[in-house]
Amino acid sequence: MDQPRHRAKDRHSAPAGAPTPTGNLLLAGLPSGERQRIIARCEPVQLELGEVLYEIGGRVRHVYFPTSSFISLISSTDRNSRLEVGLVGTEGMLGVSVMLGLETATLEALVQGAGTALRMSAAHFSLELKRSPVLVKLLNRYLHVLMSQLSQMAACTRFHIVEERLARWLLMTRDRAHSNEFRLTQEFIAFMLGVRRAGITRAATALQKRKLIRYTRGNVTILNGRGLEAASCACYAAATQVYTQSMQ
Amino acid sequence: MAGIGFPQQNNILDALPQAERERIYPHLKPVTLPLGKVLYESGDLLRHVYFPIDCIVSLLYVLENGASAEICVVGNDGVIGVALFMGGETTTSRAIVQSAGVAYRLTGRRLKQEFERQGETMHILLRYTQALITQMAQTAVCNRHHTVDQQLARWLLLSLDRLPANKLAMTQELIANMLGVRREGVTDAAGKLQRLGVITYSRGLITVLDRPRLEQLSCECYSVVKKETDRLTRARAIAVPGQQFPT
Repeated sequence: MDQPRHRAKDRHSAPAGAPTPTGNLLLAGLPSGERQRIIARCEPVQLELGEVLYEIGGRVRHVYFPTSSFISLISSTDRNSRLEVGLVGTEGMLGVSVMLGLETATLEALVQGAGTALRMSAAHFSLELKRSPVLVKLLNRYLHVLMSQLSQMAACTRFHIVEERLARWLLMTRDRAHSNEFRLTQEFIAFMLGVRRAGITRAATALQKRKLIRYTRGNVTILNGRGLEAASCACYAAATQVYTQSMQ
Repeated sequence: MAGIGFPQQNNILDALPQAERERIYPHLKPVTLPLGKVLYESGDLLRHVYFPIDCIVSLLYVLENGASAEICVVGNDGVIGVALFMGGETTTSRAIVQSAGVAYRLTGRRLKQEFERQGETMHILLRYTQALITQMAQTAVCNRHHTVDQQLARWLLLSLDRLPANKLAMTQELIANMLGVRREGVTDAAGKLQRLGVITYSRGLITVLDRPRLEQLSCECYSVVKKETDRLTRARAIAVPGQQFPT
């Protein structure tokens, strides 16, 4: 569900014909009447880095439409074995499982990029789903995007080397952070990619030597986006394509 | 495999209320699916969906270089082709028959019509989708963190749950493709299970002798997926006389 590459630019010059007063592209895809009704039901919230919005098996009380924040979806088998399987930013929403008729979360949701989001109670969201076939249709398409991402992650983690996966992951993060610079500790990246920290250090050093990124004291700067795309496995481009095809 | 079975032997078709059944059942067509048949390739337009009765279909994610890994397995608990009703039209995975048998086939157009009514059919299909999501996420984390031995045990259990007997016709090559590991890895893991008296393996037929032990040897990913699938679809063993292991 990676966004089109020009996204970072779009933020400054909104795409023609698609004004996004909310900052969330999923909501922007709704007819204006529906969009306004839904936004009226939401409250703006500030999400902090590291905040856990859903715990596995925990009750889902709210759904979130990120407007500048982004959230990791994490699958785990125990405390030490975890893996990020999805990333939700302004292109998507957190809480589609409510649409699937579920009250509990099956994946952990952790704020990876601090920022704002629109939040709605799960109960209100269920009501809106009953009222708005357009919303349901839009979210079904988004669900397809999420599922593609999920299945891709399963294969990608199996076959691709850490350096390729790190490149893909930095690009996905960039798209959602809407910036070429972000704060990330190696520990956090290791945890998300499900590898040892030493592996991340090696991969980051390799990318740095190729002048694709700069990495100092937890600050990542992407110096050469195109080069990083070439260094990434094909999964980044594939996910971008699925998103574009499904959501346009 | 005994005859063509009944639509009700598929949990999704069985869960449909009467009115939905009357609209859908007349359009179901039983088809026999041989081992190894590819129902669709990644990127294909989906023309049909399949409701397995006693066959198993694996969904594989195929990477650019042709390597593939199984992301989920579908039997009489589910349906193949969920991308279709989600409006995806094309699929991002390959669906391949992992164990031969019968399925009921429905045109994509018919299922879409029914789904778009946004009634009970939609809810049933979405709940199943959630079970698939759980399976995919668990498979991803399992691929990353668990040994081939554990993964083989998980894979055998998930397959057996979708079969009427405790036997599975399967080559090591196919298993290696499913798990996305080298063949030697599967040979080693299967050899261990055989020495422990948990399975026998001869001429492409795997027979599970000690299921409780197999569950112990599997990582917890099996029980996570099973619990979630049971919770979200209605758990029902396939009613076949002579079934040796109650599921």
